[in-house]
Amino acid sequence: MRNWSILFALAAIASVAAFLYAPFSADWWLPNPPDQTHHVISAFGREIDNLFLIILFITGAVFIGTQVVLVYSSYKFVDEMDEHGKPKRAATYSHGNNRLEVIWTIIPGAILVFLAVYQVGTWASIKFRSAAPRVAPLAEITARQFQWVIRYPGPDGRLNSPDDLVVVNDFHFVKNKQTLIYLKSSDVLHSFYLPHLRIKQDAVPGLTIPVWFDSDTAGSFEIACAELCGWGHYKMRGKVTIHETETDFQRWVSDQLTEQNKSQLTMTAGAEGR
Amino acid sequence: MTRSRFVAGLILGGLVLTSSGCSDTFNAGPLEYVSAVTLTQDVPGKTNLAGKQPLQDKVRAALAGLFGDSPQRIRVPEGSGLPGGGIYLASYKLEGDGANARRKRIYRPRADGTPDPSRPQAGGYAIYRRNCLHCHGVSGAGDGPTAPYLFPIPRDFRQGLFKFTSTPNGARPHRDDLRRTIKNGLHGTSMPAFHALLSADEIEQVIDYVIFLSMRGETELMLIEEAGTADENDPDALEEEVVKELADGVFNKWKTAQEQVMNPSIARTPATRESILRGRDLFLGRTKEKLECAGCHGMLAQGDGASFVSKEVFDSIVFGGNPSERAARLSALDEKTRTLWTQKLDVWGNPLRPANLNRGDYKGGRRPIDIYWRIAKGINGAQMPAHDSTINERQIWDLVNFVLALPYEPELLTEAGNEPQRAKLADTATAR
Repeated sequence: MRNWSILFALAAIASVAAFLYAPFSADWWLPNPPDQTHHVISAFGREIDNLFLIILFITGAVFIGTQVVLVYSSYKFVDEMDEHGKPKRAATYSHGNNRLEVIWTIIPGAILVFLAVYQVGTWASIKFRSAAPRVAPLAEITARQFQWVIRYPGPDGRLNSPDDLVVVNDFHFVKNKQTLIYLKSSDVLHSFYLPHLRIKQDAVPGLTIPVWFDSDTAGSFEIACAELCGWGHYKMRGKVTIHETETDFQRWVSDQLTEQNKSQLTMTAGAEGR
Repeated sequence: MTRSRFVAGLILGGLVLTSSGCSDTFNAGPLEYVSAVTLTQDVPGKTNLAGKQPLQDKVRAALAGLFGDSPQRIRVPEGSGLPGGGIYLASYKLEGDGANARRKRIYRPRADGTPDPSRPQAGGYAIYRRNCLHCHGVSGAGDGPTAPYLFPIPRDFRQGLFKFTSTPNGARPHRDDLRRTIKNGLHGTSMPAFHALLSADEIEQVIDYVIFLSMRGETELMLIEEAGTADENDPDALEEEVVKELADGVFNKWKTAQEQVMNPSIARTPATRESILRGRDLFLGRTKEKLECAGCHGMLAQGDGASFVSKEVFDSIVFGGNPSERAARLSALDEKTRTLWTQKLDVWGNPLRPANLNRGDYKGGRRPIDIYWRIAKGINGAQMPAHDSTINERQIWDLVNFVLALPYEPELLTEAGNEPQRAKLADTATAR
């Protein structure tokens, strides 16, 4: 039954081919702007992707190595019968090999320790509160079943005052600027996920969690909920818009405030539609 | 040998599974509209056709003739006023009658607007099925599979009534009202905001389909109402002309509502301290108009006024156990509480709770104009009445300013009760 080794070989080749193809396809590769497949838009994103690629290379090398051994040995040592239906080769039995076992325990152990130590800086700069940028929070984002309620300080610059701007599922910030938000949840666990910025943070009821990030590219991307939060989990999709300049952002805020403070219909507003 | 057959079977099975699922064209078999309860069941106090088979059949036939017999065979009645004669409703529209009926493909765009023959379902019906049906149900009866797990339960479109509108109390909503609800959701309910999930064009198509379901549902109720006055065996009951007249009546309600949006003739009064305090006095019924806001919303506007059952009772009935055993929990209440309970249901028969105005969650929107509409024209189908006949626009704006300020200044009400006393103390102090 040499065919089995061929099947294993094909499976391994298909897997490796998929990984080799991925960087050339915007759909297969990590979430980046559609026209710039390899441009990671946030500083944290570049660090996270580096860690990801290191792990991918290590596991990829191990995968190729083990697959080569698997295919070779299942091809070479396939069970062959003589004309009497008896195996041509007698089986050999062995009982453990201490040296081998120590080696294949120590090497992965060392790799794990290396990764654990190597990533500490990245983790600290993304999650440790002491690393948070010393800027005023841009917004407070409250997750609820099933939407993101985003509250920006109004003209008075203070959060939770009557002039706040409140929008749903529509988060805006400015490029090349350290942005800090406060994340809350009003019901259950949610997870604020900005895939293009590689930011993922659980929203925990009762906690106010600072989250910070930046982007070097303007554009419109996705917000998703990354924690199964109920039947409408998939509906917690929002839009994040990164503005080119602070002026653009302020213009958006003032447009939204004008709408939020609307007290009379203008004639044109009624005729919205197709 | 058997092993290789097993492997072949495994591979084949995998192929079948991968090629059958994951397709956008997958169609969940025939869908059927549910009929109104009063068509077949005896509902006390409501016109119904229980046991009158011939009349039931006539209603069904008339309805199928107007709107098509199933959600997958939509017919757009003439004069419905839907944009483009309803071409955005679904991919198919039924043309002609009986054996001559033809299914005409009417809507099948690709993302760039060009026709896409590989997608047999598109338009409002398809978008509704994907995003709305699981709560609002096939017929728009608010009876989708998710509905029992929600509070408040999803809207039943079939009376033509929608709570948060800009048109006079009881009128059909304006198209903008539905658009706002779909785009922004209803904060504090389970209605999500769809503006990041659907494109502007898709939202328009969903609005068309919701209006279509609503018109169909209301026409059904009108037909039952009309048939209820007829004799069971009268062959002339629900003649074609009568049916057409009833349907036109329903369509006209939608058409007139588009012209009836209430636009405040004066802009919002600036939210000065004086205006907010005037609003508070209106809320507490201290003006000559004697408004009874506090009766329902409570003296502290926490949604716990004396006109409704207490919050504890409400919670124990609505959330205190299996939803299907609510009737049993209700019958355990004392007579007085039970009467109060039955008086405070909305027109759909669902329990109501006055808003807690301290929370800053506004279901119908937080713009001053939204809150103006809530106060001026009330909430359709609920117990919040229209106030535009009792107070003038300036007073409504004072109330709006008060309502918008309250979440940030709860002391507006917590200290209100003490004020006369404090004023008296101040008086005595000056007298000394």
